[in-house]
Amino acid sequence: YFFYCHLNINLCVLDTSHEDMIHDAQMDYYGTRLATCSSDRTVKIFDVRNGGQILVADLRGHEGPVWQVAWAHPMFGNILASCSYDRKVIIWKEENGAWDKMYEYTGHESSVNSVCWGPYEFGLILACGSSDGAISLLTFTGDQQWDVKKISNAHTIGCNAVSWAPAVVPGSLIDQPSGQKPNYVKRFVSGGCDNLVKLWKEEDGQWKEDQKLEAHSDWVRDVGWAPSIGLPTSTIASCSQDGRVFIWTCDDPAGNTWTAKLLHKFNDVVWHVSWSITGNILAVSGGDNKVTLWKESMDSQWACISDVSKGQGAVSTITDTQQSEQ
Amino acid sequence: MAARWSSENVVVEFRDSQATAMSVDCLGSHAVLSGRRFLYMVNLEAPSEPPRKIGRQSKWDVGTVQWNPHKSEAHVFAASSNQRVDLYSWRDSCGEVHTSLQGHTRVISDLDWSWFEPEFLVTSSVDTYIYIWDTRDTRKPTVALSAVAGASQVKWNRKHQYLLASSHDGDVRIWDKRKPNTAAEYVAAHLSKIHGLDWHPDNEFIFATSSQDNSVRFWDYRQPRKYLNILSCQVPVWKARYTPFSNGLVTVMVPQLRRENSLLLWSTLDLNSPVHAFVGHDDVVLEFQWRPQKEGSKDYQLVTWSRDQTLRIWRVDPQLQKLCVSDVVEDLMEGMSLNAESEKSSQESETQHSVGLAAENLQGEKEDSAVGSGLPQTLQQEFSLVNLQIRNVNVEMDAVNCSCVVSAHFGSHQVHLVVKFPAQYPNNAAPTFQFVSPTTIPSAMKNKIQKILTDTSLQKVKRNQNCLEPCVRQLVSFHPYRLSLHDVFESQTQEDGPASGPFVLSNPVTPALQAFPRVTNTYGSYQDANIPFPRTSGARFCGTGCLVYFTRPITMHRSVPPTEPTPRSLSALSAYHSGVLTPMKMRSESQSTLRLYSGSPTRSDKDTVSISSFYYKERKLPISASRRWSVQTLHDWPKSRRFKTKREGTDYGNRPIKLAGKVIIQEISCLLPVHKALGESYILNMNDIQETCQKNAAAALAVGRRDVVWALASAATCQDLSPDSDPDTETPWARHPFGRHLLETLLDHYSHMSDVQTLAMLCSVFRAQAPPPDSYTLYGHHPSRSSILPPHHSRYVSRPFHPSPSLSDQKMLLQKQYDSHANPWGESSPDDYRYGNQGFADPREREREQHDMHKRLLDPANTLQFDEFKKCYGEILYRWGLREKRADVLKFASCPPEPHKGIEFGVFCCHCRSQARGTQCAVCKRLTFQCAICHVAVRGSSNFCLSCGHGGHTSHMMDWFRRQDECPAGCGCHCLLQSTF
Repeated sequence: YFFYCHLNINLCVLDTSHEDMIHDAQMDYYGTRLATCSSDRTVKIFDVRNGGQILVADLRGHEGPVWQVAWAHPMFGNILASCSYDRKVIIWKEENGAWDKMYEYTGHESSVNSVCWGPYEFGLILACGSSDGAISLLTFTGDQQWDVKKISNAHTIGCNAVSWAPAVVPGSLIDQPSGQKPNYVKRFVSGGCDNLVKLWKEEDGQWKEDQKLEAHSDWVRDVGWAPSIGLPTSTIASCSQDGRVFIWTCDDPAGNTWTAKLLHKFNDVVWHVSWSITGNILAVSGGDNKVTLWKESMDSQWACISDVSKGQGAVSTITDTQQSEQ
Repeated sequence: MAARWSSENVVVEFRDSQATAMSVDCLGSHAVLSGRRFLYMVNLEAPSEPPRKIGRQSKWDVGTVQWNPHKSEAHVFAASSNQRVDLYSWRDSCGEVHTSLQGHTRVISDLDWSWFEPEFLVTSSVDTYIYIWDTRDTRKPTVALSAVAGASQVKWNRKHQYLLASSHDGDVRIWDKRKPNTAAEYVAAHLSKIHGLDWHPDNEFIFATSSQDNSVRFWDYRQPRKYLNILSCQVPVWKARYTPFSNGLVTVMVPQLRRENSLLLWSTLDLNSPVHAFVGHDDVVLEFQWRPQKEGSKDYQLVTWSRDQTLRIWRVDPQLQKLCVSDVVEDLMEGMSLNAESEKSSQESETQHSVGLAAENLQGEKEDSAVGSGLPQTLQQEFSLVNLQIRNVNVEMDAVNCSCVVSAHFGSHQVHLVVKFPAQYPNNAAPTFQFVSPTTIPSAMKNKIQKILTDTSLQKVKRNQNCLEPCVRQLVSFHPYRLSLHDVFESQTQEDGPASGPFVLSNPVTPALQAFPRVTNTYGSYQDANIPFPRTSGARFCGTGCLVYFTRPITMHRSVPPTEPTPRSLSALSAYHSGVLTPMKMRSESQSTLRLYSGSPTRSDKDTVSISSFYYKERKLPISASRRWSVQTLHDWPKSRRFKTKREGTDYGNRPIKLAGKVIIQEISCLLPVHKALGESYILNMNDIQETCQKNAAAALAVGRRDVVWALASAATCQDLSPDSDPDTETPWARHPFGRHLLETLLDHYSHMSDVQTLAMLCSVFRAQAPPPDSYTLYGHHPSRSSILPPHHSRYVSRPFHPSPSLSDQKMLLQKQYDSHANPWGESSPDDYRYGNQGFADPREREREQHDMHKRLLDPANTLQFDEFKKCYGEILYRWGLREKRADVLKFASCPPEPHKGIEFGVFCCHCRSQARGTQCAVCKRLTFQCAICHVAVRGSSNFCLSCGHGGHTSHMMDWFRRQDECPAGCGCHCLLQSTF
């Protein structure tokens, strides 16, 4: 089986007209809309269908730079969450074509650095990580009500990133009692200024620290739980101020044994990791304004597939692509 | 203000000692000076006597030396030398090394004797370990603390036996030696290296840190996020230590700088100005220690050792000690107004700015430009070179009339100041400062500011230096929050009077923050030390096959050299706040209409700090002057022609600069193992598996996939290979090496490829090919759970889209099957179910069942896993908008959808007409519905006509419609025709 990869360079370049630096950009579930957020305190939504770029909404409500956005699953409607330096999390919703605030959460005492929606199987649930060290879990209970659970002091000094585990049945896929509705366990991973990656699990409605993964020697800047395609292995990527990216895997049905593998040591901070939908390609980006793509080979080795250049040069580095654009 | 009298009473010179460290013993009788060749023992009672010597042979200097603080062990001291600690004993005027501690692998940075256990010594090293030694067993440390980062200082808590603190770059860790695995607390104390660490002598929670970042901070480790107080110095602070008398603190500056040779005594209650300066040393102070107080004496003695090779002993009399305990409230008031004078007091160091790494760049440029034109001597030059990118301050300069107007906003107050420069300025001729309207500050404040400015300017012009910038910076020291603090303080005193306690009111920062919990103008300040430096570029996989990049504008470069890593925390921007760095970004007028980070109406936004300040725009003219010009244009001055021409030459100051980069969406689906085109063209026709395989093979080939998986699938699903239902005929194909084994290998392969598309398709095809037999127990046998397909699910395969049959249906079906087997499973005991295979009464049935398992190509044991593939692929199809294809795949999943709950009828209550669900009305609490026949409320089973809505008790209705076909309510509805009961 030969995998032919002819990269047709299909780029859509957007000028967001943000007035200050952009801190996140994310497309919705279908890839039809793009949300961006910026230091200019706004969130913008663009319709990018068929290569277009129509500004749909310019969301103002934050009083500080907006760090991250997150789209909810479309089964709940068009919902976007954003978090900011102003310590607020705002959940925006489109109703009849107009975007408006659905909920504003002000329960954090410092900058909120990361927001992430849980898998749709759990309902509308948002995890928020803040520099006050706490992680909040906001669950929509209907009738405009949100239930708030807070994990205080989840990370000493501050929490920088949160990422949900896909909704898979815990334990072996084989050993499940059949016929019933699968008994999903809510889990997510977080990274913080204590250099730790922590796994959290909900038990009897309470959030508990499940695992503590130590490998980084400086602040953990981002964590990403890889999507599942149904295999029993769980995979997490973490990146840090120390320039290292680790891939954590767990084959243990109980989820207790995690092994770390160093993907690469970069020369500058690595502040973002992102998994492809099939969980086999990792995009790594950092302070050097570059993006590299990494893929796991058949023998479980990670290799950079974007620096190999030539035919695949389209995804070499941001600077290159952008230079060719400008 | 510190009176600069010299209170030293002893000066002893030890020429050629080259001592680097010094320690005073706990009896106060000896000080040891550690030189490279000798240790000198100075008798403090008679310091001018020639010292005794202990020879040492080492090529390393002594890093730290310290006497044991316990009287019982007063003759012992420890001296670190590279990786080793030597323990000396000094008896009878004779000293020798009695033992050495070896364990560190790199140089030892600090050591400290325990205050509680005379045998315990802690050492810290660059090798990242902190060792606690029991000197009775010197082979190895008793406790090892691994800090990951190298430590610069380690200190035992003075009040808690087990606690100790260590400093690592800008962080402090608090350890409990009983829990050596991890630090008990972690304090991100400074942004630059911490040089000194000292526990409070009386409070077990409080300590002070001194740092390269020009500050001393006071901490309660129970509140690691926020320092209790800060002492801002103009130069890096080498050591800050508490005094043995209360509320005192002594600081020395970083020795490398060789500028400030005085020790400063501060009151921790008023950190705005030192209460005393110990002036006398001709070179930097290397070490200072307090001599234990003599019995009956009220004086304390400070012993200092300097690179000028003199040991000095300073007397601190009760009067001086009392200065540290002055009235809290008064001090704070004083602090408000005298804040600037503290800076004045350290005037020697005033000219030098920060030595922060990032600052050096610009600092260097500034000096370069100064060198180019010689020292700025004329007012014009000063105007052109002055760096006044200061928040809330506007300076209009008029070089022709030798004057300028400084306007500043402090919260609700304004200050307007005319500065007139005499002709001889700056050659020993100070400018005059005059307040003009609409200055709104009280006159007392005016006088104080005027005095400060005059003093500052005089100090400068005495040395023929320019003074405008220093003066304006002094003025700015009355920064908004200080004034707002003033307001806060006033309201506090009115309400409940001053609070007491050493750290309550003495803190000029914390209360202000508490009073204004959303002080947003501190964006990027030191308070943000724990907020990560934001991402300014990145890439994220989105949708199914897109990679979304967000980027920095191509012209934005980092203002620090590329070898420097990006700072980790947002507080890196504080350099721009403090004015040490000038943000190189510029905003056009249109952009300046944006409000940024503050709702304060008085603030102009042109000088706000943003993350983009960290990056600068690349210029064709890399001369610092040109940058400075562009900054000046922002200030809308000056008017003189000379400046105009310059400005015209460089018009980019007017051009808007893009601070936001492009967002790029790149189609990368070709990198993914799943193909949208295949998603569209793959079919799943369960009636003709062969055709399905062939069409899918063609589809795969069309997108360039040359794998033979569909050909294999086609062969494996060939009719000729379909298994016989009789277990005795032959071994089913699935047992053949090319059967299930091959399929498993294929699935394994595609699992490694993460090709969930092929996985899900294969699972669906083979599922359809071999529909699991119906001859399964539904309620019975669960033979060895891992080896059997969950039977319940299998039922959905054959008729996937039919409404799920009721349980009774299934039961009947099964009953029939089992009847044919003549196996009265319903009668077997519960134990039989539990113990699986034993329950088979008939061995033939067991054989058959096994045969059913064996003849299927997909291992039934992994059914749930296969379902996951399908579910995951279904999700991807959904993202592609291929909903029908998704349904095609998902109907092969064994896990059933949520059973349909059935239709629930809503009823209008027959009494109050409100809508009700169920039999009881929520409003009137009566039963909602009456039987049309008996006119009694219906509680239990009921039947309605769906057409006219009438009905009643089921039994009554049955009886009625056995004889009639019209509605019993008399409405004329032919209920039996309209609906079926």
